[in-house]
Amino acid sequence: MGRYLLRRTFVLALSLIAAGLVLFVLLRLLPGDPSAALLSVGADEAQIAAAREQVGSDLPIWMQLGKFLSDLARFDLGKSFVSGAPVLPEIMTRLSVTLPLTVASFLLAIVIAVPLGIVSALRADRWYGGLLSAVSQLGIAVPVFWIGILLIWIVAVKFRLLPASGFPMKGWEDAAGAFRALILPVVTIALVMSASLMRYVRSATFDVLGADYLRNARALGASFPQALIRHGIRNGAVPVISILGIELASTLLGAVVVERVFALPGLGSMLLLGIQQRDYPTVQGVLLVSTLMVLLIGFLADVIQRLIDPRLRETVAGR
Amino acid sequence: MSTKRFTAQILGLASAALLAATVAQADPAAVIRVGSLYEPQNLDNTAGAGQGINEAFNDNVYEALFRLNDDGTVAPVLAEKHDVSADGLTHTFTLKSGVTFHSGEPLTAADVKYSIERVTAETSKSSRKKSLSAIEAIETPDDKTVVIKLKSKSISLPYNLSYVWVVNDAAGDITGKEDGTGPYKLADWKRGSALSLEASDAYWGDKPANAGAMFSYFTEAAALNNALLTDAVDIITSVQSPDALAQFEDTSAFKISEGKSTTKQIMAYNDRVAPFDNVKVRKALARTVDKKMLLSAIWGDRGMVLGSFVPPTDAWYEDLTSVDAYDPESAKALLAEAGFPEGFTFTLETPNYDPHPITAEFLKAELAKVGVTVNIHVITANEWYTKVYQAKDFQATLQEHVNHRDVGFYGNPDFYWGYNNPQVTELVASAEASDSDAQQADKLREANRIITEDAASNWLFLYPQIVVSNTKTTGYPVNGLNAQFFLRGITKE
Amino acid sequence: MKKTTLWIGAILVGINVVIALLTLVWLPYDPTAMSGGRLAAPSWAHWAGTDRLGRDYFTQVMIGARIALTVGVGAALLGGLIGTTLGVLAAFAQRGFDDALAATLDILIAFPTLLLAMLVVAASDGASLGTAILAIGIAMSAIIARLVRILTKRVLAQDYITAARCSGLGWGRIVLVHVLPNIAPTVLVAIALQFGLAVIAEASLSYLGLGAPPPNASWGQLLQSAQSTVFNAPIGVIAPGLALMALVLGINFLADGLRDLLDPERGAA
Repeated sequence: MGRYLLRRTFVLALSLIAAGLVLFVLLRLLPGDPSAALLSVGADEAQIAAAREQVGSDLPIWMQLGKFLSDLARFDLGKSFVSGAPVLPEIMTRLSVTLPLTVASFLLAIVIAVPLGIVSALRADRWYGGLLSAVSQLGIAVPVFWIGILLIWIVAVKFRLLPASGFPMKGWEDAAGAFRALILPVVTIALVMSASLMRYVRSATFDVLGADYLRNARALGASFPQALIRHGIRNGAVPVISILGIELASTLLGAVVVERVFALPGLGSMLLLGIQQRDYPTVQGVLLVSTLMVLLIGFLADVIQRLIDPRLRETVAGR
Repeated sequence: MSTKRFTAQILGLASAALLAATVAQADPAAVIRVGSLYEPQNLDNTAGAGQGINEAFNDNVYEALFRLNDDGTVAPVLAEKHDVSADGLTHTFTLKSGVTFHSGEPLTAADVKYSIERVTAETSKSSRKKSLSAIEAIETPDDKTVVIKLKSKSISLPYNLSYVWVVNDAAGDITGKEDGTGPYKLADWKRGSALSLEASDAYWGDKPANAGAMFSYFTEAAALNNALLTDAVDIITSVQSPDALAQFEDTSAFKISEGKSTTKQIMAYNDRVAPFDNVKVRKALARTVDKKMLLSAIWGDRGMVLGSFVPPTDAWYEDLTSVDAYDPESAKALLAEAGFPEGFTFTLETPNYDPHPITAEFLKAELAKVGVTVNIHVITANEWYTKVYQAKDFQATLQEHVNHRDVGFYGNPDFYWGYNNPQVTELVASAEASDSDAQQADKLREANRIITEDAASNWLFLYPQIVVSNTKTTGYPVNGLNAQFFLRGITKE
Repeated sequence: MKKTTLWIGAILVGINVVIALLTLVWLPYDPTAMSGGRLAAPSWAHWAGTDRLGRDYFTQVMIGARIALTVGVGAALLGGLIGTTLGVLAAFAQRGFDDALAATLDILIAFPTLLLAMLVVAASDGASLGTAILAIGIAMSAIIARLVRILTKRVLAQDYITAARCSGLGWGRIVLVHVLPNIAPTVLVAIALQFGLAVIAEASLSYLGLGAPPPNASWGQLLQSAQSTVFNAPIGVIAPGLALMALVLGINFLADGLRDLLDPERGAA
């Protein structure tokens, strides 16, 4: 396991460097010069040239790359072309919105999905098993922003129960305000996410129920709940953890849309604005940080899977 | 000059008196919560901050020698006296005394010189840089006097100076902080969400009618509207779609005001390339578009149809909607004369934000009636600057032009739309060298008539400037010229 | 009960397919014609009212069905094909290649569909249905590949594979006989989910202003422009949302029903 961890960590670091390079190249394939974000109608040639010099888009691409890499080695994500502010502190501020949003949604989704998913599989023949399954079907069939728009319309505007959008200017210093601001977005994401999670949990439960080891365990005299807890959850959890990893990652990235709907100053809105303005340092910085987080999640999911299911280890070691 | 200043002062007194009457029940400790779609990118208007910074800071945090009032007139602010030499090339300004910056330092002539040179500097990204190009030298004989020497006469100098924030020359980089003389100082700024201002105790003039303001920024119009509906803000500065207004019209809790904007949506042709180098083609397309219908589709019964590039708040405005009025039959005839009886096909570069895609669809349907096929090509704002504005690699494009007094763009043959009429270029240049406002207006009016007869571009409509507030909030500017939003007179019960 | 799911799914998808095909030859109104007042309420003439420009909204929702199906089918085919191939290859590959591929997949998954779409759009000079399909398909293939890789490894860890290997069965046969049939039900569920998610992803791209331009207005674009008028014309938000939900629901039901048919053992459990 120790060697595996070491190797996996090495791969993680390589991936991050590769991701950085890929990002750098891809961003520069986009049409439109980044200096345009600094201009307005009426700008003359000299102003255009000065803007290009300021953002460095007048340099040959290999020099831009060199600067990017040397900055990166010093954990310097550069300064925004548009605002001139350093990118990394800005990302940290934005994370104070996006991370709680993502983690809270994820936890809420698990709390909803795991018990309901298992129940809907175990009781698939009862009316409530069927109903749960049907509701989860509805949940995965809608775009998250549609739920957001409807929730704002009904909860925030019609009944004035919660704020429709925004985040307190003082951030978490105004804890009550920040908390209230995140309720609707969290519920929006969790509703949609728990629906798809529930399906995976249900599917995994079915897999477990039909598996030989469960039958063997019962034949050896274990009661059904005993067999399920001792063997079922352990086995069923393997694919679910993989899915959880992917879901957590996609929630993080999916926050772009939800932050837009609820006008939250998170990482997603920073990325979207950065893309619109071709603000390379901002886009690179946000994507590098979010890639890092997603890679870390994948890393953790893999490690946990191995801990639970030693057979995965054996296949690799055995060949 | 001095009579004019006097009138402005009387007007100022009158409005102050008016203000005093309404202030009676207002809460002077109130903080006005403003919702806006225009977040400043940084806090320096010469560093590509966008229109949001003008909204938040013009005349609120920074003052200038002159102010562009909400009615389009220009009034002195930090300039107490303005004298012009007989040849019109030397302007002498005397500064108000007792003015201090928020940092506590007094205002001096050196600050003014520094501030003007910030805008004209090599690295300045101000869209106003060119308008100050007539300045040859700035001298500061003493702390209270600024002398501006010009290469050529410039009737618009006071107007142009109204864009020049007076910044403390010791302030340094102001992309993340401020040091102005205005009635408000920056209290806090949170990128991506909000900016708050508080009244400055040391302000030289009358105290504002409120204690401060909080600008909240949104990217979706729907979220902005919701904020007002749910009482998260008191006022929203520019409503982008009339359809959302219904929710504010129904109730006595909200007030809708419609002012005159200077934002014009136009379809600009590349006048250098065929078929748009042919005036008959341009006139034909102008006559094919039912602008009334377009305006009502996009803005309902608000805004106004344009016959030329000049909006009614410019002194040289006249109604030219009859020059190429809606008439598809004569358009067909013109196209036939121009050699396109069967029409032609062109690509319309369409910015990807409202209302351009809708307008593009509308134009496509309209122009199809005379056999002209439009290929809609959607581009981002950046691509627009690179491809259309800089490389001039386009056939036609949609764009909104937001500036006040900007017909002069047609006097520049190198401008992106490539309109080149020496007579217009001459008129625009000589208008600037006028001796009086009336003379300037006459010349620009004449130039605009020629531009209109040439159908240089297809001027579609003037956006309405719609401000919606709750009924408790009063005293805000309704026209918002050049995206300004004066806070000092706003009161809240 | 199982059959019911299949039937409901088939009917929902069938309606969408019929409408999508119908739009190729007939529409109630010219989609660009301003045939009614602005934001008119639903009526006999305009079943879903009209939009801001007075154009028939039902017509636009009908066209949306065609767009959604095109994007969904295209992206699911592309993503399923690339994803399954990559996943199986990774599971069989030697350690180094497996790790490299797994890491690449992780990066791809970490890479927002949003930016991928922008890049594809940029590289091909303008947004179109094709660019949306390509971007969503690539993003989807990474997710499928990751799942297939893990599932395949699980199958390969089973004793009977070792037995089959010992009896001289080639890897190609093992994939065809043991791996694919074993992983098919789960992968099918995943692809079905991804089909629905592709439709939703396209809607999200359009909502953010990165989708196919008019006149190929997708449901997402309709939702975006109707969002600010949800108070006075809620039908604008409700109609495309319900249509989208019906299609995705239908696809998922259909997939579920099919899985039960393919895997009767599970149905019995």
